[in-house]
Amino acid sequence: MADLPPDVRLFANTRIVLVGVTAVVQVGICASPLLLHQADYRPAWAENVAFGVLALVTAVCAAWLVRREPLPAVVAGGGAVVVLAASAVATAALPADGYFLDVHWSFGLVGWHLLVLLVDRIGPLVVALGLHIATSVTQFVLVGDHDRVEVGDAGVVVLSVLGFQSAIVVITLVLRRQTRLAVRVAADRDRTATRAALAEQWERDRRLTFAGQLGATLPLLVGLADRTLDPRDEETRRRCALAGTQLRRLFAENDDVPDPLVHEVRACVDAAERRGIEVSLAVSGTAVPVPTVVRRELTGPLVVALSQTLTRARVSVLRTENEVRVAVLADTASAEGIARASPLVRVECGTYGTRTRTEARWSHP
Amino acid sequence: MESPLTAVVVDDHPAVRAGVAHWLGSGTPPITVVAGGEDVRVAWIGEGADADVVILDLHLGGPTPALGDLRRLVEAGRRVVVYSMRADDETALTCLELGALCYLTKAEGADHLVEATRAAGRGDPYTPPSLAGALAGDRSDHRPALSARETEVLVEWFQSESKDFVAQRLGITASTVNSHLERIRIKYAQIGREAPTKAALVARAIQDGLIGVDDL
Repeated sequence: MADLPPDVRLFANTRIVLVGVTAVVQVGICASPLLLHQADYRPAWAENVAFGVLALVTAVCAAWLVRREPLPAVVAGGGAVVVLAASAVATAALPADGYFLDVHWSFGLVGWHLLVLLVDRIGPLVVALGLHIATSVTQFVLVGDHDRVEVGDAGVVVLSVLGFQSAIVVITLVLRRQTRLAVRVAADRDRTATRAALAEQWERDRRLTFAGQLGATLPLLVGLADRTLDPRDEETRRRCALAGTQLRRLFAENDDVPDPLVHEVRACVDAAERRGIEVSLAVSGTAVPVPTVVRRELTGPLVVALSQTLTRARVSVLRTENEVRVAVLADTASAEGIARASPLVRVECGTYGTRTRTEARWSHP
Repeated sequence: MESPLTAVVVDDHPAVRAGVAHWLGSGTPPITVVAGGEDVRVAWIGEGADADVVILDLHLGGPTPALGDLRRLVEAGRRVVVYSMRADDETALTCLELGALCYLTKAEGADHLVEATRAAGRGDPYTPPSLAGALAGDRSDHRPALSARETEVLVEWFQSESKDFVAQRLGITASTVNSHLERIRIKYAQIGREAPTKAALVARAIQDGLIGVDDL
């Protein structure tokens, strides 16, 4: 129900009301003249059959309506033909002087049936209503001479019934247009809202990623500004070294270069060399494409290891047939925090005497 | 006692020639640089023609590497250590295929140069870390199949530049590290074009029992 298009829902609701009206009209208004004038009809059974058929059509429509489903074209079309036929039969069995009077119970009722059947098919509905009026009027004309009063009365009845039912058609049309417009507006609003939400999410992600990549920088700067950190302190200097290397790597990340991984590794090496560390860098193997997130993970341990290096480091990047390996062997103050758990790359870190060896490996497809 | 090892240095920079001569001369035992010059001719005429080892700069004043000169020297049975500015894997592998006993980058320093020259004097290959990296990263179709241990040794040597460290890491002795590296070079000597140095290398490896005739 909820996932039906709004105009389908509109017609389903309209139809339920119409079926209710039809049932009430048939039982409440039409049944009593039919019973009352049984003796006047020629023959009465034709009228009764027509009444039964019309009631049946209403019941059949109700089967779809309780499920709030639109009527299938076969049911709607077939129903309209059956209803028109029933109307013709009921009209034919009228006494000659009973046209468009209370004895002609079927005239107004058939219009309601047609509305129920064809409310979502405006063209066929207009045609069917037209046919209904034309047939009834033709039968009225054929049945004999009518004086002006009779014709006038008939005209009033036809016009009033037609006017009322046409008004319902027009209202439905207007409602449908409004609904479609509302749907379009709502869709536009939804799209805009989605776009705004996406943009906001992207911005938030960017902030988070940036904050994540800035890592130790922000708290460090805050600490220096607040004078809670002493720049002469060894630990503070180590943190500065780490922040500096992280920033250099981050700045290198978006550069357009043929070999981004080596470019980022070089940035880290450069940052270390500026601190007076003697670094030897070796690169071997043909470059393979490495996604940005993987590059971050591959260079992450290197950044930490280099920031903790005391005097010299050997950094290597090796691309083999199925692996990319970034390794660093350095004399570090401590091996703390170098190896971090990473779902993408395998990080191995070990201390051998005064030296710490760290390696990040990524199996490329 | 054997006569001291002699070398000829072909390099277009006088400072490099002087530096190489100094490095080689200060080792124990010293290696004598008998000739040097910016043209490969010094390795063919005069005292240079009899030098035990040729130390050849691959980029003699031009952009194209002097691979032709290397090939001619190797075909004449000379033992060549290629000494290059560039750490380019492909060139390094080509030099090995042509029959150079070592490909050394100028970033790699005195120790490697002295060791490479000594090894070349004996007709042995020497695999410095950068060359080990090139071999480990070799993805060519005709590369020889290396054992897992051999690959491990190559990678660790490339990453650490220290055989003691490799030995410590892998729980083997430094001499085992060396024999792994040598075996790898013998495997490489068996592929590509033939060269006297490569043939000699394989022959000696069989004599020493480093590889069996079945491995060929």
